[in-house]
Amino acid sequence: MARRFLGRPLGVAFILVWTLVPLYWVLNTSLQTNAQVSAKPANYLPPTPTITNYLTLLTGSGDIATSIRQSLVNICVECAAATVVTVVLAALAAYAFARMTFRGKNVLFYSVLATMAFPAYTTLLPLYRIMSTLGLVNTYTGIVLVYVSGFLPLATWILYNYMSSLPLALEEAGQVDGASRMQVLWHVVLPLAMPGIVSTAIITFLSAWAQFLFPLVLSSSLSTQPLTVVIAALEGLHTVPYSLMSAAGVVAVAVPAVIAVMLNRYIVSGLLTGSVK
Amino acid sequence: MSIGVQAPLRRAVTTTNRRPGRGRRFDWLPYALITPLAVFIIALALFPAGVTLVEAFFRVQPLNPPDTFNGFANFVHMFQNDAIVSSMVNTAYYVVIGVVLSTVLGILMAVILQKPFRGRAVLIAVLILPWALPGVVEGIIWSGIWDSNTGLLNSVLTSLHLISHYQVFLGRNQFVTVLVIEVVQVWQMTPLSTLLVLAALQSIPGDLYEAAEIDGASGWKAFARITLPLARPGIAIAMVQAVIATLNVFDQPYVLNGAASTGASVMEQTYFVSFQNLDFGQGYALSLLITVVTIVVSLAIVKLVYRQVKY
Repeated sequence: MARRFLGRPLGVAFILVWTLVPLYWVLNTSLQTNAQVSAKPANYLPPTPTITNYLTLLTGSGDIATSIRQSLVNICVECAAATVVTVVLAALAAYAFARMTFRGKNVLFYSVLATMAFPAYTTLLPLYRIMSTLGLVNTYTGIVLVYVSGFLPLATWILYNYMSSLPLALEEAGQVDGASRMQVLWHVVLPLAMPGIVSTAIITFLSAWAQFLFPLVLSSSLSTQPLTVVIAALEGLHTVPYSLMSAAGVVAVAVPAVIAVMLNRYIVSGLLTGSVK
Repeated sequence: MSIGVQAPLRRAVTTTNRRPGRGRRFDWLPYALITPLAVFIIALALFPAGVTLVEAFFRVQPLNPPDTFNGFANFVHMFQNDAIVSSMVNTAYYVVIGVVLSTVLGILMAVILQKPFRGRAVLIAVLILPWALPGVVEGIIWSGIWDSNTGLLNSVLTSLHLISHYQVFLGRNQFVTVLVIEVVQVWQMTPLSTLLVLAALQSIPGDLYEAAEIDGASGWKAFARITLPLARPGIAIAMVQAVIATLNVFDQPYVLNGAASTGASVMEQTYFVSFQNLDFGQGYALSLLITVVTIVVSLAIVKLVYRQVKY
């Protein structure tokens, strides 16, 4: 019995420590001066908490600050565009797959699923050469097209499952009342499928935010490089003060962290429909 | 009788899908709805995958045209290249360490979360965090723990008098470097493993445990005889996800250890030979190799671990 009483608190403590200590540590480092960061033993709390590092990044005029700010704009534009295009196209296709019969349906559907089985980087080099031939390297369009092609299969699959599980009766009532199929999609199916659409949008947005190798290859200039690429380049210089690097890290995880904590229910349900193939 | 009532009803329902007046005219709507998806999948997934498959057997050097067929030469060359061979060894370590750790931790955390308790929903919201963050930035976050001058681990170990002076974890010993980098990827993968195993555990009927307890099996015995076997579908999917992620690991070693041979992965070498040496043929061959290995290992795991469970 003793083990049972102790087991859960220990388990909960383990999950909290494992998940939160690295995040606490980067936050702690970002709130110190670079001199304080090199103390031995380390400062487990910031001795004199300071937001100087954040002010430097967000309002400073140096090269590091301007590249962080520009890449923050880039990542927001690319993720938002990729999410909108992916969700719209996936919703249209998922509706057709879930509710209509047409020639070639199975071939296309299984091709879409098959692309989920091979690793994303299989297509890295050909996609680079296609985008380079089309003159789309170093453009938002090039990056967004690649993201959409990567995220569409999973998004279509999640929405297909969601729409298939909706009751047919409401759609039939709509058709009996004389609504066209597109009106039924817009006024009946999409509102009912909203939780699935939100899941899909969040998972797509977070996946786009996490991209690194594709944008590293597809953008060589600051005009389109997302935050992840710029941060890795700064880290690679080995000259950026560690406290400033940590503040940049916190800026890069703030948006996905807030989304993950606030909307975790949608993520869990979406991931579970998405992974059980 | 009942058949006689239902059949016309069902026919009535299906016929409402076909609008009156449209008759036998070609139904273009589904094609309009799927065309954008089809264009993306064909042009930017299937076609490029085909290109990788074909060009892996060609000599492709953009600065040194034309491209010529050269059979298996790209594959032979990769095994004569020390950097690529050592990256294969590293990647094998990444896969074994990553799949084992993320699966064990996933099962452990899923068991902790199996029964409802106050605060479980909050704990799941916290648990999911590392999954949602970019691998590159997680590399930077964890460099604050592994660092040889300012790292948390060195500081804690010194304070506990377990080490007398600060140690170098990254870039000195190959196995330690790989282990330390892979822990960072495990941190990112474990939330998904946990959720997949947890979903499988949630479908185990509670009375199975009650029956087992009456028969004198609880604790470890119940875990080994009920929980583990019945969670196999979830465990298999979690392991496949981990195999795909670890075989293709790039972000964490790139940020934490750069090109250094102590930790470079096959995916890093693919990037270097393609975009620094501009030997695309070699890059295609490496991409194809990883793809084939990923699919073979994933299928092997499904065959070994996955069992359909019926209640």
